[in-house]
Amino acid sequence: MRKKVLAMLLTAAMSVTMLSACGGGREGSSTSDSSDASTEETADAGEDSGDAAEETSSEGFEADATIGIALPWLGTQNWAEAQDMFKEQLEAEGFSAIVQAADQKVATQQQQIESMIENGAKVIVVGPVDGSQLGTVLEKAKDAGVYVLGYDRLIENTTGVDGVVQFGSVKTGELQGQALLDGLKEKKGDGPYNIELFGGGPADPNAPNFFTGAMSVLQPEIDAGNLVVVSGQTDFTQCATEDWDNKKAQQRMDSLLSGNYSDKEIDGVLSPNDGIARAILTACEDAGQPVPVVTGLDAEDESVKLVWEGTQYCTVAKPTKDLVAKTVEIIKSLQAGDGMPPTDVTANNGKVDVAIYELDPTVVTQENAKEVFADDEARMELLQ
Amino acid sequence: MKQIKQVLGGDLRQYTMVLALAVLIIFFNVISDGRMLTSSNFQNLLSGNAYVLILALGMLMVIVIGQIDLSVGSVAGFSAMAMCILAQKYELPWFIGVLIAIAIGLAIGAWHGFFLAKLGIPGFITTLGGMLMFRGGVIWISKSISVPAPEELRFFGSGYLPEWGPTFTGMNNSTLLLGIIAIVWYIYTELKRYKSEASIGGDSATPLWAVVTRVVLVSLLLAYFTWLFGSGREGTSFPVPGLILLILIFIYHTITQKTTFGRHVYAVGGNKNAAALSGVNVSRTYFLTMMNMSLLSAIAGVLFVGRSTAAGPADGTSWEMDAIASVFIGGAAVSGGVGTILATVVGGLVMAVLNNGLMLMGVGADKTQVIKGLVLLAAVAVDVYNKNSGRSSIIGKLFPSKESTEKKEG
Repeated sequence: MRKKVLAMLLTAAMSVTMLSACGGGREGSSTSDSSDASTEETADAGEDSGDAAEETSSEGFEADATIGIALPWLGTQNWAEAQDMFKEQLEAEGFSAIVQAADQKVATQQQQIESMIENGAKVIVVGPVDGSQLGTVLEKAKDAGVYVLGYDRLIENTTGVDGVVQFGSVKTGELQGQALLDGLKEKKGDGPYNIELFGGGPADPNAPNFFTGAMSVLQPEIDAGNLVVVSGQTDFTQCATEDWDNKKAQQRMDSLLSGNYSDKEIDGVLSPNDGIARAILTACEDAGQPVPVVTGLDAEDESVKLVWEGTQYCTVAKPTKDLVAKTVEIIKSLQAGDGMPPTDVTANNGKVDVAIYELDPTVVTQENAKEVFADDEARMELLQ
Repeated sequence: MKQIKQVLGGDLRQYTMVLALAVLIIFFNVISDGRMLTSSNFQNLLSGNAYVLILALGMLMVIVIGQIDLSVGSVAGFSAMAMCILAQKYELPWFIGVLIAIAIGLAIGAWHGFFLAKLGIPGFITTLGGMLMFRGGVIWISKSISVPAPEELRFFGSGYLPEWGPTFTGMNNSTLLLGIIAIVWYIYTELKRYKSEASIGGDSATPLWAVVTRVVLVSLLLAYFTWLFGSGREGTSFPVPGLILLILIFIYHTITQKTTFGRHVYAVGGNKNAAALSGVNVSRTYFLTMMNMSLLSAIAGVLFVGRSTAAGPADGTSWEMDAIASVFIGGAAVSGGVGTILATVVGGLVMAVLNNGLMLMGVGADKTQVIKGLVLLAAVAVDVYNKNSGRSSIIGKLFPSKESTEKKEG
C-alpha cells in the first residue's frame, strides 16, 4: 500500500517536472515585439551610456504606437493641463496614449511605468514624483527598447533616461532677478533698495537653479551697493523654503520683518513661485509695510489676478502647452527614426549626462499680461 | 461536491480566497489580451509588492493579538533613510547599512513594545505617535532630499537569481531548482500528513485518490508558475525580493503554527485574561510582536529603497494601510485571535493583482483606490455576514456548492 502511494506520487512529480522542463524556449526580448537586433542595440546603448542624445538607435516605430505618460499627480493646474493636452495631442498625431497620474506615490508611479512597458509603449514620458527613485524601472524600460523622456523635472540617479524636456531653470531665475530689478526701478524710485531673498524647496533640483540664476543678476548689484539685503541672508540654504511650503515662507517673512524692518521699509522680495509670493505679500501687509516688488512663478490664477491688480509685481509663465508641444515633437522625431533631436545643453544626473531640451519661460507683468494670455481664455477672464 | 471538498482537504475557507485570486488573474488576463500572465509582469508584480506583503506578515500577528500598528510606513521610511544617509556619509559597506537599518527597526519596535506592554498604552495610540515621530524624523534627517541607496541593495530590491547550468531547460535554472524544491516539499508534507491520518485511521482520513489528485493539481500549478517566472528574458528569473518574501513566509508560518510563541499570540488575541490565567506571559507576547513588526518594517524599507535606488522623504506614506487591508482581506478578525499567515499572503496578492490588472487596463490611481476600497469592504462584510449566519466563506456564496443549493431548495 505504502509503496503504491509512493509510486503514484513519484510518477506525478516526474511528469510535472518534465512538463515544466519542456515549457518552450525563452523569449529573446521582453514583451515588446521589436526584432531581436534592435533590442540588443538599445540594450548595448544603455550600457555604454555616454551622451544620451547621440547614442539612440535610429530605427523608428509604428505611427500608431502606444506612448506612455506618467505624471506625478493632478493636484495643480499645470499637471491637470498636461494630462488633457498629452491625451489630445498624441491622439491627434495618431498615437495611442496611456496617461496615468501617481497620486504623489513613488511606488504607484514605478508600477505604472512597468505596466506601460508591459503594454508595449515605445516612448514613456515621465514627470517624476521623485526624480531619483525610478532607477530600476527606467533601466528596465531601456532594456526593453523603450525611449524615456523626463518631463518638467530632471530624472536623477539612473542611466535609463534619453532626455529631459523642461523650462530652463537657471534662465527662469535670471528672468526673476531681472524682473525684480526692473520692478524696483519702476515702482520705488532711486536706490539703494532694501530687499530680501527667498528660495524654493531644497528637495526640488530646480530650486537651487532658480536661486543661482536670480543671484547671477542680483549679486553684482548687491556688491555695488544698489541693493541691500537687510537681514544679510543670501545663501540658498538660509533662504530655502522647505517643501515649497507657503506657510513656512510666511513665517520666515514675518520674522524677517519684525527683526530687521522696524525702522525701515522693504522695497522688494525675490520669490521663487507664486504661492510664496502671496505668502510674502500677506506678511508685509500684516506688518503694515507698503507693498513691495515681489516676483513669482507659474502664473497661478490667484497671482495672475494680483499681477493684474498691481499687487504682485510679476509672475513667470511656463505654459504647459509649450512643454507638451516640445515633448510631442521629440516623440514624432523618434517615431520617424530620426532619433533624439540634437541639443547643446546637458546636465549630469549623478550617473550620466542627460540631454536637456530647454524652453524659455515668459515674464508676465501688468503691462504685458493681455498679450501673454491672448489665447488662454480661462486666464483672460481673470484680467477684467 | 463532496469529492471536490475531499481534494481540497476540507479547509474550504483558505481555498476560496485562492479561487478568488485565480478568477481575478484570469479575468485580467482575458481583458488585457494576455498581458497579465507574462513572465515580466509577474516578476514586476512580485518585486513591486514584496514590501507590502512583508509588512502584512508582521501586521497579521499584530492584528491577531488585537492591536494595530500605524507606524510601519514611517518606520520603514525612517530606517531606510537612516541607512542611506549613514552609508553615504561614512562610506559604509552595504551590509553594515542593512544591519544598521535592522537595528533601528528593532530599537523602534522595542520602544513601541515598551509603551504597549509595560505601560499598557493601546497600540493604536503608541504607534500613532510613532507614525508622526518617525515621519517627521525622516524629513528631519533627510532635509526633504532623496539620498541614493548603496548600489548593491538593488540586488535585494529588484534583482534576479543567477543563471547557471545547461540551457536546454529553456528557463532560468535557479527558478527551476526553486520550483522543484517547492514541488518536492509539497509532496513530502502531503505524504506525511496522509500517513499520519492513515495511522490514526477512522472516517476522517482522506481517501488516497483525493490526496493524489490534490498533489497533482497543486504540483501542476507550482510547475506552471515556475515556468512563468523562469522563462522570461535571459537574465531574469524569480525575483530576489520574492525569494526573501518566500523565506519570510515560511519562517512566520512556522512561528505562528508550530511554536509555543505562535500559540501564545493566538491565545492572547483570543482572550487575554484566559491566556494570562493559563500561564501565558501576555506583556512579553505584546512586546515581541510589536518589536517584530518594526523589524519587518525595516526590512521592507530596505527592499523598497533597493528597488527605488534612493531613499525619499515620502517613502512609506500609507503603507500601513495597504498592509492592514491585506490582513483583513485575508480573513483576520478585527477583534483579534483569528487569521493566518498564508491567508494574509493571499489577501495581499489579491490587492496586488487588482492593482496590477487595473494599471494594465490603464485605469487611473483614483479609480483604482475606489475599487480597492470596495473590495476590502466587500470581503470583510461578506465574511462577517457569513460568520453571523453560520455559513462558510465569501466565495462559497459566489460559487454556491451543490450542497448549499440543495439545502436551500430542500
